[in-house]
Amino acid sequence: MAIATRTRKSPRRERLEAAVNYPIDWLEERSGLIGGIRYFLFRKVPGDTNWFHTLGSATLTAFLVQAVTGVILAMYYKPEPKTAYASIQHITNDVTLGWLVRGMHKWGASVFIILMFFHMARVFLFGAYKYPRELNWIIGVMLLVIGMLEGFTGYLLPWDQTAYWATIVGINLNGTAPFLGPYIAQFLRGGAEIGPDTLARFYSMHMLLIPGAIFALIGLHLYLVVRLGVSSPPWSKEAAGADWVEEQEVSTDGRRAGLTRPVPRNYVRGQRGDSA
Amino acid sequence: MSALDERRASFQRYKQDVKERGKPFYPYAMFHDTVMSLVVVCVIVGLACVWYLTSHEDPNRCQPKWSSCMLGPRYAEPADPGTTNFVPRPDWYFYFLFYLLRIFKWPDSVILGTVGIPTILLIIALVLPFIDTRRDRRLSRRPVAVIAAILVVISMGELTYKGAVAKEALASEVVAAVPSWAQREGFANNPKAVSGATVFAEAGCTACHTYLGTGGGNLGAPDLSAEGTKGKGVQGLTSYISDPSKFGNNVMPKFAAFANIPAKDAKGKNLGISELQALAIFLDASKGPK
Repeated sequence: MAIATRTRKSPRRERLEAAVNYPIDWLEERSGLIGGIRYFLFRKVPGDTNWFHTLGSATLTAFLVQAVTGVILAMYYKPEPKTAYASIQHITNDVTLGWLVRGMHKWGASVFIILMFFHMARVFLFGAYKYPRELNWIIGVMLLVIGMLEGFTGYLLPWDQTAYWATIVGINLNGTAPFLGPYIAQFLRGGAEIGPDTLARFYSMHMLLIPGAIFALIGLHLYLVVRLGVSSPPWSKEAAGADWVEEQEVSTDGRRAGLTRPVPRNYVRGQRGDSA
Repeated sequence: MSALDERRASFQRYKQDVKERGKPFYPYAMFHDTVMSLVVVCVIVGLACVWYLTSHEDPNRCQPKWSSCMLGPRYAEPADPGTTNFVPRPDWYFYFLFYLLRIFKWPDSVILGTVGIPTILLIIALVLPFIDTRRDRRLSRRPVAVIAAILVVISMGELTYKGAVAKEALASEVVAAVPSWAQREGFANNPKAVSGATVFAEAGCTACHTYLGTGGGNLGAPDLSAEGTKGKGVQGLTSYISDPSKFGNNVMPKFAAFANIPAKDAKGKNLGISELQALAIFLDASKGPK
């Protein structure tokens, strides 16, 4: 214990540290969770990550806001055509801060969708979908699609005129798809007509099925981010993984020379942007 | 060295560079993430506050003349399957799809707008990493990607904007046009047809259909100014309107509920027919402007 020899600790402090460390060690020994968290927090990221790299975690934050406000709304919302509209009015006008929770959920949805598109644009412009991160791009596209489905199913829940008629048309449009279309429309409607069954199943999809899928996909998405790392901005002079060759060294047959690393660091750093 | 080997070598270099020269996620990157997340939460709370504080309990107070609601009403009127004057408008992030349906007309090409183009876009997005396998990530070396990105942003922005400002005919304005319709189409002497025209105007048919230049032309719905020349007959039109899906039209909603509402003339006198029949008589009398 190098530290212990350097600074003498009072027995009181030692007891305190032991009390703090014991449950942490207990958990680590039995689950390895502490090590996992340490790895997540103290893993190295390229030195040139910047504000553009925050769009993903911002999207996650918007989703968590949706999850928390959604849970609160579900405590008051009544998914029946006769009561849905009145329960939304009740939440907005009577429940303490209900207007804030509903407002955050309503507008958080838009923010979530916008941030997904911004994040996607960032990944596209950085070329960050390239090897070895192809799979994570695909998961991201799936998240975008089911995120928009979440918006579609949530739109009906207030059971007001815009919601009702927009959903009828939306379901009918789904029905125009070849082969599967009529079945999808039938499934969404829960019968021949839009009614109580439709509302119940939109509610179920909106708060169980789709959020579950989003959580699972975000988990996978983050796992791959941690495993593969985030890519440097392509214009960075310090881009991690950038090639070590100058433009002039590209040989005439079009193949790149110098893929091994004989050139000292910082020699032509940043001359090539095709880093991983 | 094969292309895949080059990519692998590049990734190995990346890992080594990060290991040697990277910085720990906590606290450096996490600081940015935390600040950004706080901004996001503040923006959401701000939007919620502006939305609530500038709107009213009564949804009608957000009609255009009461345009004090900066972010829209708290809720629209309660859903009513039998009622009139709806605007089938999705949330704003579906506007680009919504507007595509004005470009592709029913019934020939509407499937391109509803399913075709969105599916193609989705497939392109999914296979993008397999189309673009070059290692280079600099924008100056990816002209095709840059042009594609600009085109996508411009077209989605344009479609969203057009969907947002797409004119929805207001029922009151459309009803005011009914006498001129009767004149131009020559059914002014037929009170049942005039009554049907009023139903047509009030029920929000012009949210999708056009009639003598009025209306949305939405979702690929056809112009109905000369519907009476198509030989469907009053009977045929009645059954079509009450359940369009029986005729292969799965986009238009069913209006069977109108069969239960008695039609009235301008003075409120009962005409002895339902609103559904009045609609059919009106459409049958629409032989095009004279």
